[in-house]
Amino acid sequence: MFGLSFLAPAFLAGLAAILIPVLVHLRHRERREAVAFPSLMFLQQIPYKTVKRQRIRHWSLLALRCLILALLAAAFARPFFSRAEAGIALDSARDLVILVDRSYSMGYEGRWARAQDAARSVLDGMDRDDRAALVFFSTGAQAASGLTGDVAALRAAIDAAKPGAGATRYGPPLELARRLLEASDRGRREVVLITDFQRVGWDGQQDVRLPPGVPLTAVNVADGDDAANLSITAVNFDRQTVGGRERVTATARLAYKGAQPLSGVPVTLEVNGIELETVTVDVEPNSAQAVTFDPFTLSAGESRGIVRAGTDALPPDNRFHFVLSPGQAVSVLVVEADGAAAQRSLYLRRALEIGDRPPFRVDVTRHGTLRADAIAGRDVVVLNDAPFPTGAAGRALIEHVRRGGGLVVTLGERSSPASWEGDATELLPGAFGAPVDGAARGVTLASLDRSHPIFELFRAPRSGDFTTARVFRYRPLQLAGMDGVLARYDDGAVALAEKRVGRGRVLVWTSTLDNFWTDLALQPVYLPFVHQLARHAAGYAESRPWFTAGQVLDLAAARDSMAFAPGGDEPGTTSELAAGQAAGAVSATTLPGLAGGELVVLAPGGARTMIGGDHPRVLELAEQGFYELRPAGQANAAPYTVAVNLDLAESDLTPIDPQELVAAATAADPGTAVAATTAAAGSIEDHERRQAFWSYLLIAALLALAAETALAGRLSRAAS
Amino acid sequence: MEQHSLPGARFVDPKVLARIGNLELLAKTVVDGFINGLHRSPYLGLSLDFAEHRAYIPGDDIRRIDWRLYARTDRFYVKQFEADTNANVSILLDVSRSMSYGREGIPKLDYARFLAACLAYFSQKQRDRIGIATFDRDVVEYVPPAAGHFELVMHALDRARAGEPGELRAPLAKLAENYRRRGILILISDFYEEPAAVRDAVRRLRNRGNDLIVFHIMDAAELEFPFQDAANFEDLETGTRIPVIPEYVRERYRELVTNHVATLQRMLGEDAVDYTLMNTSTPLDQALFTYLATRERLNRVR
Repeated sequence: MFGLSFLAPAFLAGLAAILIPVLVHLRHRERREAVAFPSLMFLQQIPYKTVKRQRIRHWSLLALRCLILALLAAAFARPFFSRAEAGIALDSARDLVILVDRSYSMGYEGRWARAQDAARSVLDGMDRDDRAALVFFSTGAQAASGLTGDVAALRAAIDAAKPGAGATRYGPPLELARRLLEASDRGRREVVLITDFQRVGWDGQQDVRLPPGVPLTAVNVADGDDAANLSITAVNFDRQTVGGRERVTATARLAYKGAQPLSGVPVTLEVNGIELETVTVDVEPNSAQAVTFDPFTLSAGESRGIVRAGTDALPPDNRFHFVLSPGQAVSVLVVEADGAAAQRSLYLRRALEIGDRPPFRVDVTRHGTLRADAIAGRDVVVLNDAPFPTGAAGRALIEHVRRGGGLVVTLGERSSPASWEGDATELLPGAFGAPVDGAARGVTLASLDRSHPIFELFRAPRSGDFTTARVFRYRPLQLAGMDGVLARYDDGAVALAEKRVGRGRVLVWTSTLDNFWTDLALQPVYLPFVHQLARHAAGYAESRPWFTAGQVLDLAAARDSMAFAPGGDEPGTTSELAAGQAAGAVSATTLPGLAGGELVVLAPGGARTMIGGDHPRVLELAEQGFYELRPAGQANAAPYTVAVNLDLAESDLTPIDPQELVAAATAADPGTAVAATTAAAGSIEDHERRQAFWSYLLIAALLALAAETALAGRLSRAAS
Repeated sequence: MEQHSLPGARFVDPKVLARIGNLELLAKTVVDGFINGLHRSPYLGLSLDFAEHRAYIPGDDIRRIDWRLYARTDRFYVKQFEADTNANVSILLDVSRSMSYGREGIPKLDYARFLAACLAYFSQKQRDRIGIATFDRDVVEYVPPAAGHFELVMHALDRARAGEPGELRAPLAKLAENYRRRGILILISDFYEEPAAVRDAVRRLRNRGNDLIVFHIMDAAELEFPFQDAANFEDLETGTRIPVIPEYVRERYRELVTNHVATLQRMLGEDAVDYTLMNTSTPLDQALFTYLATRERLNRVR
C-alpha cells in the first residue's frame, strides 16, 4: 500500500488464522450426540451418501469472521504511513534547513565569504514551492527564520550575518534542524550544513539524529585551508606592592598549531591604550610558549590591557583582553580593649599581614581612642575582646555594618555584655554570658558548617584540621534560633555565629583569637581560618581579569562594584569613597540609590543596551573585547569594565572528516548502524504512536465482532 | 384434514392443556368448551340436543322429565337425546417407546392421552360404555367397556407410559378377541409399520363388526424433518443408529412420510376405517370434531 509500513510485521502472520473460520464452515459439522428419532423406518429407505464436498452456506458470516481476524492481525502489526520510508513524495515541494556556522573560526581567512556564497547558492537552487529555514550556530543555535519561501529575506539575513565570538558545537544546530523537519509534513526534507568542520565541535557522543530519509549535505568551507594558527591562550598576573604601589608582571601563554615555524612574532602588551612593551619571539611548529613582560604599575581605577601576538589568518585569537584593578587590599581595623596587654592582637595581625590574595591592611587601635573617622573606609572592624564603642564611634560602627561593612567580635575577658546596649544589640546574633571553662583538657571544634564560605576552603580532606585546637575558655552565646551557627564546640556550645545586618555581616567568635583562651593561634589552620574570617566579613569577592565569550555576568555583583563619578552623589558618601579609594581600599561598597537601578551596557561592537533595575539579573557576554557598564544617567561615571576573550578551544582548527559527521547524524555509517537504527526505530515508533492506526483497527474489529454475534444468532434462529 | 376453528376453542391448544395436571379436568375443559362452541356454531348437524319424548317409566331419572310437556298434557314424558345410544366405545392406545417422542410439540403419548381423555369424557357424556386398552408389543392394560368405567379409563390413561418397543399385529389380535360385542374402537398410534401390516392388524378389529376410528399421531418434526446438523440418528424403539445429513435426506424423507400417510388413508379407507392424521401441534378440538362427524355418520347408519 502507498507508504504503509508496519512496526511489528511479524503479527501479520496472524492473517493465516483467517483459514480457521473457513475450515470451520466447510468442515462437516457433526453433532457428537445421537439424535433420538421415533423410527428410522423412512430414513433407512433413503440411500446413504458420503460427504465428499462441503459447501459454505453463510458467506456473510464467514466474511465477517475473516474480517475480524484480519483487523486483529493488522492492529497488532501496528501499521503506519511514512512518506519518508516509502521514498515517495506526496508533492515535489521541499523543506530545507540551512545550518551556517558563525563561530569565530569561520573568521579564518576566506571561510566566511565561502560560507555566505554557499548559503546563497543553496537559496538560488530553491524551487518556487520550496521553503527554507536559516539557522546560525556556534556554541548554540538560533533560527534566523522559520520555514519560509521568502528567499529575499533569507538572503538578506545571510548578507547581514558575521562570524561571532563563540566556539563550534554541532549538536545544537542538528537538534534544531531535526525539530524543524519533524514538524514538516512535506515529503522532501533536506539539511545543508555549511561549516569548517572543526573536530572540537563534534565529540561523537551527541545523540542527535536527523529524521530517517533526510539527507544531510555537507559544505566544507575550510577545504584547502592551511590550518596553521597562533593564539594567546591565557595571561597570568603576578602582583606585588612596592612602595605603596601595586606592580603587575604579566605573562602571556602562546599556542601554535602549524607545520611551519614562526619567527620574529611580535608580542605586545598594551595597557590603557598605551603600548608598554613588545617582545619578539620565535615559535616552533606545534608548540606552546610563554612571554613575560616587564612589571608595570597599576594606576588608580580600572586598567584595561590587551596582549597581541602577531597576526595570521585567524586574527581574533591573537588578542587577549584583561581588566585589572588596584587596591584589592582589605582594610582591617582591630580594636583592642583599654588596658589589654600589649601585642594582644599580635597573632591576628601577623596572620592577616601575611595574606596577599587579597592583601590585608591592618591597623590596631584601642577602645578608648577609637574615633568615628577611623572606622570610615574600613572593610572589616575587629572588636578583639573589646567592649562595644560608645558615642559617635559606636554609631559609626553600627552604620558601617548596615552599609555593608564587616564586624568580627571575639569574646574574651574584657568583652562586656553590658556594653552592647541600645542599637548595638541588633548587631549581635544573640546574648553572650560569663566565661565558661571548658573541660580539663579544653573543648575542641567539633561541628563546622563546611558549606559556609568561611569553612568551604576546608571541605577537602587534609585541608585543615580544627580538632587539634583546644579552647579552654569561652563565653556562651545564646542564639534566638538555630540559624546563624557556623561552628560548635564538642560540648555543643556555639563557637562561631553570623548575623546579617543591613548589607553587612557580623561574625562572633566566642573565644579569643590569640593564645589566651585557646591555642588555635598555634595551629596551622589558624592562618587560613583568620583569612577566611576577614574575607567573608569584608564580603570580598575576587575580581576576574577576564571572562570567556558565552559566559554570563552577574549584574548584581556588577552593581555592587560600581562607583559614582565626583558630583551628583549622595552627600556623605563621596568623601568616604574617595578616602577609601585613595587608601587603596577595595571598592566593594554598595552606594545607596544604585542598588537595583538601571544600567547602560556598551558592547565591544558598539551596541548600547539599557538593562532595567529589576531584570535581567545576568548579561550574556557574547562578543570579544571590553564591555562597559554604567548607571543610567551617569555618562561621566567611571564604568565597570568586563574583559571578554574567545573560547580558545575554537583556536584548534583540526578538521573532522565531513562524512563522519554526516554519517553519524544520518546513521549512514555502518559502524553506527545499530545506534542509528535504534534512533531511527525510535523515530518510527514516535511516528506510529502519533498515527495510532492500531486503535482504529481494534475498534473496527470490535464492531465487526458485535455484528458477527448478531448475524450468527439470527441465522441460528432462522435455521431452527 | 380440514381445520375448523370453533368459537372459544383457544383453550384446546395442547401445550396449554399440558399445564392442566388433572386429566379428567382437562377432558372436561376441552369437551364442555367444545360442546358450548358447537351450540353457537353453524354446524347444527351435530346432534346433541333433544331428539324425542317417550313415556316415563318408573326408575327413569326425574330430572329428564319434560315439565312443560306435563303442563300441557298432564302426563309425564322424559327427554331422549339422539346420542343416547349406549354404544361400547373402547380406546386402543399405543404406548410403545416411539410414542414418547416430542420435539416440536408435546410428546406424542401425552397428546394421545389428552385425546383419549377427551374422547372418553365425551363418550361418557353420551352415556356410552367406555373402555380402554394400552399396548406396545403386547397388551399392557385392558379395561373393558362398561358404564361406570370412566374413572378406570382415566386412571389407566394416567398410568400410561411409553417404554417398550411396539407392534400392532399381536396386541391388536389379542384385543380383537375381547371385543365380541359390536362397538366403536378408537385406535390411537403413530403407526410406524408398513401400511399393509397396519391394515392387516386393524382388519382383525374390524372383522368383529366394530366401527373403527384411527388417529395417527405424529410430531411436526416427524412430518417436516427440520434438522440441520449432520448426526447419528437413533431409533427409539430398536436403538439402531445411522448417520444422517439432514439437508441431503430431507426432501426424500418428506416424500416418504407423505406417501405413507396417503397409503394408510387409502388402505384403511378401503376398509371403512376412518383415518385422521393428528399433528401434536394441532388443537384437540379438531380431533373432537372429526370424532363427532364420524359418530354422526355412524348413528345415521344405525
